[in-house]
Amino acid sequence: MSSVKLRAIHKSYGSVEVIKGVDLDIRSKEFVVFVGPSGCGKSTLLRMIAGLEQITSGNLEIGGKRMNDVDPSKRGIAMVFQSYALYPHMTVRENMGFALRFAGVAKDQIARQVSDAARILALEPLLDRLPKELSGGQRQRVAIGRAIVRNPEVFLFDEPLSNLDAELRVHMRIEIARLHKELQTTIVYVTHDQVEAMTLADTIVVLRDGIIEQVGRPLDLYDDPANQFVAGFIGSPRMNFLAATIVEKSGGALTVELQNHKNCRLVLPLTGGAIGDAVIMGVRPEHFGLPGMGNADIALDVDVAEHLGSTSYVYASADGESLVIEREESRQEERSDRITVSVSAEKIYLFDSAGQRLR
Amino acid sequence: MSNIYAITTRSAQYVGLSIAAFVSVFPFIWMLLGATNTSPDIIRGKISPGGALVENVMKFAAQVDLPRVMFNSLFIAGVGAILTLIVASLAGYGFEMFRSRVRERIFGVLLLMLSIPFAALMIPLFIMMANFKLINTYQAVILPTVASIFIIFYFRQATKAFPRELRDAARIDGLKEWQIFLHVYMPVMRSTYAAAMIIAFMASWNNYLWPLIVLQTNDMFTLTLAVAALNAGYTPDFGVIMVGAIVATLPTLIIFFLLQRRFVEGMLGAVK
Repeated sequence: MSSVKLRAIHKSYGSVEVIKGVDLDIRSKEFVVFVGPSGCGKSTLLRMIAGLEQITSGNLEIGGKRMNDVDPSKRGIAMVFQSYALYPHMTVRENMGFALRFAGVAKDQIARQVSDAARILALEPLLDRLPKELSGGQRQRVAIGRAIVRNPEVFLFDEPLSNLDAELRVHMRIEIARLHKELQTTIVYVTHDQVEAMTLADTIVVLRDGIIEQVGRPLDLYDDPANQFVAGFIGSPRMNFLAATIVEKSGGALTVELQNHKNCRLVLPLTGGAIGDAVIMGVRPEHFGLPGMGNADIALDVDVAEHLGSTSYVYASADGESLVIEREESRQEERSDRITVSVSAEKIYLFDSAGQRLR
Repeated sequence: MSNIYAITTRSAQYVGLSIAAFVSVFPFIWMLLGATNTSPDIIRGKISPGGALVENVMKFAAQVDLPRVMFNSLFIAGVGAILTLIVASLAGYGFEMFRSRVRERIFGVLLLMLSIPFAALMIPLFIMMANFKLINTYQAVILPTVASIFIIFYFRQATKAFPRELRDAARIDGLKEWQIFLHVYMPVMRSTYAAAMIIAFMASWNNYLWPLIVLQTNDMFTLTLAVAALNAGYTPDFGVIMVGAIVATLPTLIIFFLLQRRFVEGMLGAVK
C-alpha cells in the first residue's frame, strides 16, 4: 500500500485561490479524513489527489512517485462518489468490471476479481441487476465494490454516505471501518459529518478556506484543539464560546472575567495574553457542572430543553450569549426558566481575539 | 354555487379542448377521406368515404417513381439525421463539459444565428454548393442540415442533466474523452438521442424549399418534391395528391410510434 505526500499544494480558478498551500503526509494504510465546512476545499483537494483537478502548483506524490501530471487511471487510486456514479446502463457486474475491461484484463480474471469483491460486500445476489433496481445502500456498496475491484493503492471517498438515511449511514460507516481493517489500504475520506470523521479516522485533517487548520488523531483534536475554529468544529453539540477579559496575570496563572457575568471570575493555569486583552473562553457542553461543583457559577435563562432519554441538551442564554449545556441525569430542573451551572478551570479553553489558543 | 361554477368551467375547458383537437385532427381525417374520393368530389367538399381509393393509388403509382423518391427521402432524412445527431451531440457535450472563457460567447453567436431566416441563407448556400460542384447531389441537401443549431442547443440543455461524476468515474476507470462519450454519454443519453432523431428526421423529411432549389432532376427528387409536383399540372388530381400525402406521412408516423416512449423521456430530459 502507498503513502501520499502533498507539498505546498495550491489550486486556483482564475484569480480565485481555493487551496492555499497544503502540506500533508498520509502514511501507508492510514485512514485520513478531511473535514471542514462547505467550500473549505476538502473535495477539491481530494479531486487533485485523484487527478480530476489540475494542481496549480506544488507537488503530489503517491507511493513515492510524483503524480501531478499522471492520468487518474494510472495513479493507483479508486474513488467512491457521493452520488455513487454507477453507470446506469450497465448491470452491477458490468459496472464493477468496467475499469478492468478497459485495462485489457482477461475476461476470466475480471470475473474472478468481480466475484471476490462481490463476496466481500455481499453483493452476489445483485450482480445482474441494474443500478436503478437497487436501494441507496446497495448502490453505495456497489460503488465501493467497483473501487475494490481495481485493487487500488489508495481509496478516495468523497462524502460517500451523504445521500443515505441516518440508519443506513451508521450501517455503512461500520462497513467502511470493517473494510479498512480487512483490506489494509490507505484511505482518504472527505466528509462534513464530524461523527463520521471521529469514528472512522486514524487522522483527521481540519480544513478552512483552503488551508489546514489542524492535523491529529480524533481525540487529540477534541481534547487539544489548536484554535477556536477547530474547537468549534470538532464536537457535537459544538463548544460554547463566552466573551471574557484578562483582568489579572501572576505566577503562571491568568484571571479572566466573563463579560456577561461580571461576578464570574476564573483563575486559569495559563501564561499567554496580557492584562486587558479581550479573549474567548471555550467550554464544551458536557463540561458544565452542577451549581457549586466547579470554580464559578453562571446563571442563565433556559430557552429550550431537549430530552433525549439518557441525555438532555439545555439551550440557555444570558445577555444575548447562547450556550448549550449537556446534562446526563437531571430531567426535571431544565424544565424551569432559570438554570445555574458551574464551570471548572481545568475544563476551559482560552482563545485570543484572533482565535488562536492561549496556553 | 361553487359547484355550478366548477361544472361550467370544466365544460368550457372540454369544449375548448374539443375544438382544438378537431382543428388538429381534421386535416389528417380529410387527407384519409380525400384519398378515397375523386378530385371533383373533393372540390365539391365531400368529406365522407368514397370508392376511388384503388384508382387514386394506381394513378399515384403511375405518376410517381415511388421506390426511387422513397429511397431518396429516406436516405437524405436518415443520413442527415444521423450526421446531425453526431455533430450536435458532440457540440452539446463539448459546450457543456469543457470550461472555456469564450464558450458562452461562441454559444451566444450560434443562438443568434437561429434568428437568421433561411431565405437569407439560401442564395449564399446555393453559390457555395455550386462552387463545390454539389448541385443535384445528396450532399447538397444533407450538408446544410448537419450543424443544426437548434439540436446543438437541445443537446447542451440535456447534457446539463448528465451527472458529471459519471465522467469523473469513467476518467478514473481509464477512459479517454472519446471513450467516455461513446461508452458512457451516448448510452446514458439515449432518450435525448431518440427525441433529437425524430426532430431531425422529420425536419429533413418535410424539407421542401432547399431540396427544390438544389435537386434538379426527377431521379433525385424527394417524396415531398414528388408530391408537390403532382400539384403542378393545370388540373391537379387531389385524390392522387391525398394518396401522396398519406405515403409521405407514414414513415414519420412509424418512427414516432417506435420511439414514442424515448421521445417523451428525451423531451423531459430524463437521465436514468
